[in-house]
Amino acid sequence: MRRPFRLPGRWSAAPLAIIAMVVLLLLAGIGVIVQSEAGYRDLQQQETRVQADILAASVAAPLDFGDAVAADEAIETIRVNRQVRSVGVYDARGARVAGYGRDGPQPPPRLSDLPTASGGAVTSSVPVMSRGERIGTVVLAADPEPVSGRLSRYLVIGLLIVMAALVVAVLGLAQSTLRRVNRQLEERADALAGANAELKVQVSERGKAEEQLRQAHKMQALGQLTGGIAHDFNNLLTVIQGSADMLRRPGLAEDKRVRFAEAVVQASSRAAALTGQLLAFARRQPLQPEVIDLNELIRGMTDLLDRTLGERIEVTTALTERACTVEADRTQLESALLNIAVNARDAMPNGGRLAIRTAAARDAERGAMIALSVADSGAGMDEDTLNRAFEPFFTTKMTGKGTGLGLSQVYGFASQSGGDVRIASRAGEGTVVTLLLPCSGDAEHVRTVEATSGLRRGRTGRILLVEDNDDVGEFAEALLDELGHDVVRVRSGEEALDRALAERFDLVFTDVVMPGMSGLDLAGRLAEQRAGLPVILTTGYSDEIARSGAGGHPVILKPYRPETLAEAIEQALGKEKS
Amino acid sequence: MTRALRLCLVLALCLGLAAAPARAQAPSADAVKAAFLPKFARYVGWPARMQLGAGAPFQLCVIGRDPFGRMLDQAAATEQIDGHGVAVRRLPSAAGAGGCHLAYVQGAAPADTGRLLLALRSQPVLTITDARAGPQRGMIHFTIVSGRVRFFIDEAEAAARGLSISSRLLALAAGVRQRR
Repeated sequence: MRRPFRLPGRWSAAPLAIIAMVVLLLLAGIGVIVQSEAGYRDLQQQETRVQADILAASVAAPLDFGDAVAADEAIETIRVNRQVRSVGVYDARGARVAGYGRDGPQPPPRLSDLPTASGGAVTSSVPVMSRGERIGTVVLAADPEPVSGRLSRYLVIGLLIVMAALVVAVLGLAQSTLRRVNRQLEERADALAGANAELKVQVSERGKAEEQLRQAHKMQALGQLTGGIAHDFNNLLTVIQGSADMLRRPGLAEDKRVRFAEAVVQASSRAAALTGQLLAFARRQPLQPEVIDLNELIRGMTDLLDRTLGERIEVTTALTERACTVEADRTQLESALLNIAVNARDAMPNGGRLAIRTAAARDAERGAMIALSVADSGAGMDEDTLNRAFEPFFTTKMTGKGTGLGLSQVYGFASQSGGDVRIASRAGEGTVVTLLLPCSGDAEHVRTVEATSGLRRGRTGRILLVEDNDDVGEFAEALLDELGHDVVRVRSGEEALDRALAERFDLVFTDVVMPGMSGLDLAGRLAEQRAGLPVILTTGYSDEIARSGAGGHPVILKPYRPETLAEAIEQALGKEKS
Repeated sequence: MTRALRLCLVLALCLGLAAAPARAQAPSADAVKAAFLPKFARYVGWPARMQLGAGAPFQLCVIGRDPFGRMLDQAAATEQIDGHGVAVRRLPSAAGAGGCHLAYVQGAAPADTGRLLLALRSQPVLTITDARAGPQRGMIHFTIVSGRVRFFIDEAEAAARGLSISSRLLALAAGVRQRR
């Protein structure tokens, strides 16, 4: 950016020009003074001659008549001018008739004795004429203007010139300084532009680095999640696989067979709960909201909580009488409460108290709400942990002990249900987690949880089963068959539609996610062309249902239990019949 | 300028004037008057009818008595005014004074001078008289002041005759009767 090679040339040129101009100005000034001096000399010569002429004219008559007194009087008028050094009036024969000397001696008595040059004075000798005849001579000597007077006059000119020279010099210097400053400014601007470009590069590099870091974080989080889930799943799969292997052994005692089968069922349901939590965290879980009495739900869970938390933790409940009902997904709500309780348990490894409370609350935006708070007497959280408590995959537990999804599920569920969740905690003082849910204001749909047990044989009919997955398809076919239904199984929505239009069925049980026509599409088409034919949807997870709902059709979430399916079919057939 | 200096000047002037004609004797009053007479012509303007032709001299007439004699002739002979000389004519009376430019008038008695002046009144002629000869005054009237020859000028009378007298001459006069 720097261009030092250009500076010397510019720098030596500027003062040279200034010096040249100043010298020119001074020369011009001296010229003016010399010219003025010469002009002044001429002028004075002329002036002296004019005065001599005037005097010659006025002494003509006195000379004619030899009147020295009159001649003196004529000279007297000249004496007023102090510059006149001496005056001599001579007659035709060269004899002095009258004279005057300012500083003393008069001019010599004879004209011929007059000195030719007289000490710098301006001398003028003029003949006195009278009617064409020369009758005498007037000699007038005048001092030039005193040196001091001339000097002061020239001093003014000199001062003006010096000032002009100074102005030129100052202007020139200012100009060159300005040029230098400009140059510096340019250089700085260049440097700045360079720095700016560098900064931009750095910023973009930093952006890339940040992006990479984010990616790395994502991968790390994904790894953590995958590890946690894999660990939990492997545990469950160990139980399921082991139990199934044991069940295949011939001659197994009846009680053992029941125990292993029970172990498989329990492990499966825990695995289902795990996937449910994952989906809840992703907030992609299709909620099945129903109206719930919160107090009743808590009372129904106390046994479970006691068992889960162990004997060293004392569970107390304080439930308000003015509790309103809420509209929420029962499973998710239970899951949330359980997650909070499990966290509390882990915070109290040496035992403690767990207090569950309900209280009416009010929110400015959402109106009447109910607050479900769970307080423990555990270790509490420091501020940093508190700030990250809802962060997915964040956990203070040892690897394999937790997925870091518990509170995330709580948060996901609360916000999906139109509520909120708050944590108050201080290290060493326990933690209070408060779940706020909006009141439904509709008490009609309250129904008690009834644990379904065993398979009941109810209504049976002809069922069209649509399932693209062979494993699930075979299982469902077997199950429906077991329930006493007449089952026709197809593998795609299109095929199902053809069969449903061609034959008579009592019910269609269809998977949602399938290549080609989806279960929802099928249900829609059937509603148009086979109105009154009940459709039950089933899915592990469906974007479509999460997005736009099931269109009024009941949905059974995979993995489903035989009794869940049986009840859904029972209800659907019952509705159709009635 | 001190009085002594002025005296010196006068002395010097007298010496200067005296130098040429007679080194030994101081000029008499008559000699000075004789020298003055032709010079008056330099400072006077005459009416057009009195203008001179080329080479023609001014006419200086001496009417009545002539107190100057050869002194006047000498003075007139050296006088040159714009190329014109001065001729001296001596006339016994005013008769024949028609071409005179200047006229020195002196009768036998003061009354005669008055008559002669009266006779010249009809002509444009510069009349000159002398106090020594009587109180009657012409346009220029000689007198002696502090031993020096001086003259009075009657400018009014001169103007009435159509003559103009130069202010330079008026400046030298001991007294001037100004025209209105």
